[in-house]
Amino acid sequence: MQLRHSFTELRQGLRRNVSMHIAVVLTLFVSLTLVGLGAMLNQQAVKAADQWGSELQITVYLCRDGDDNPACLSEVTDPQKQQIASVVEDSPEVADWYTETKAQAFEKVKELFGPERFEGPDAALTADDMAESVWITLEDPDEYEGITSALRGLPGVARIQDLRDVVGPILSSIDALKYGAIGTAAFLVLAALLLVANTIRLAALARRKEIGIMRLVGASTLYIALPFLMEALVTAFLGVALAAGALAAFLKFGIIDRAAQGLTFMPWIGWDEYYVTLIGIGILGPVLTLLPTLLLTRKYIKV
Amino acid sequence: MIRFEKVSKTYPGPGKPALDNVSIDIEKGEFVFLVGTSGSGKSTALRLVLRESRPSSGRVYVAGKEVNRLAGWKVPRLRRQIGTVFQDFRLLQNKTVSENVAFALQVIGKSRSEIDKVVPGTLEMVGLEGKGDRLPTELSGGEQQRVAIARAFVNRPMILIADEPTGNLDPTTSAGIMKLLGRINETGTTVLMATHDEHVVDQMQKRVIELDHGVITRDEARGGYGSQVV
Repeated sequence: MQLRHSFTELRQGLRRNVSMHIAVVLTLFVSLTLVGLGAMLNQQAVKAADQWGSELQITVYLCRDGDDNPACLSEVTDPQKQQIASVVEDSPEVADWYTETKAQAFEKVKELFGPERFEGPDAALTADDMAESVWITLEDPDEYEGITSALRGLPGVARIQDLRDVVGPILSSIDALKYGAIGTAAFLVLAALLLVANTIRLAALARRKEIGIMRLVGASTLYIALPFLMEALVTAFLGVALAAGALAAFLKFGIIDRAAQGLTFMPWIGWDEYYVTLIGIGILGPVLTLLPTLLLTRKYIKV
Repeated sequence: MIRFEKVSKTYPGPGKPALDNVSIDIEKGEFVFLVGTSGSGKSTALRLVLRESRPSSGRVYVAGKEVNRLAGWKVPRLRRQIGTVFQDFRLLQNKTVSENVAFALQVIGKSRSEIDKVVPGTLEMVGLEGKGDRLPTELSGGEQQRVAIARAFVNRPMILIADEPTGNLDPTTSAGIMKLLGRINETGTTVLMATHDEHVVDQMQKRVIELDHGVITRDEARGGYGSQVV
């Protein structure tokens, strides 16, 4: 098949209908960005839920000298620790547990904030300022009432921290953003489909004489439709490229450089998730433009 | 080459059928006029040959193939064997004469070298040598129709269908166009021409099929436009 004519038609078609094509590209860009954003936020939620779902822990901080909790009269004693350990051990809700010493807790803090602030005579904290803790992994992340009520108020227990109290609002925000992005994207995807349909209709109208002659002299449907399909692919490519750039910027400046630096305890999405999203919008973009093109070219240029 | 077997065509809505139980047999190399008043069914018959529409009943054969049973993807191949000329020329105004003729070959995938070889010869045959670079707007009506004929004939089709090709032309120019169609017919191409032009039919003395309200009222081997045999 000689493609010279198809490429000439493609060039003319893009030039003739430039404003409509820009509208299609921009609508595609915004809708694909929102779809991609929804997909990335979904992966973020799954990633966070995966980690916290499997490792969901309750941390029981034990009393230390000078604890803020008025119930803590002094440093936790060995008999108190034994009692706490036996309650944890006997609970059917507990899958696994371990204790963290003051020294281990201090090492963690040093690792998190850098060791230089915790060394020498002007150290901000020492190991003695840290509390001993018991880290409990639950059998079922949703079954935690029994163990927390059994431990609460026990002598030597300063406070119980459930990671979900911290993570819950973050996960809810991610979910809300995800659904917001996908919901808005749905409307824009519809707008993109209608715009593409309109563009094809106008292009077919502008070329109706040529199309009529092509049909009469025996050009195949594919040959007649090819410039339309190529136009659809070009607009899809531009829309996908712009959306890919916007999503990369969101990942780099929003997640990697900002969120992941501020909230270090959360597992964050990275370039791997971005590539998965890219494949998704790389397929969706051409589908959004080719689908109405194929349907309408069948209608307008039927041989 | 073209055979209608008890063909009827009814369009949606009330009214009589456009073609009513029509049977025609046109041999290879024949020159046939299809005459009749407006609405007699001439254009419908041509559309059926081109598979632009399908008969409501009966069978249409073109070059041995039953066209109404032809799969959609085979229709372009059928049309490559049929050249078509219309009253309104249907030329692309933004393309030159050569480009208009070459267009018919381009869109069926002929190579550049083949196009360059065939187009000048075809333009010479229709009497447009030296005018390949002109735009259709720079040509007279007769010349524009010659371009349309060149485009229809450049692929050397087995059949040439002409729907009122002289309808927009004066008698002298029409005579030139008819001479050209006669020469094309002499190359072995079957010509089926629908016309109102009494003068050209009388002058050519070819086979005439007359339609009236979708029914064949006359089929003469060498006839004139009217009912009398000249």
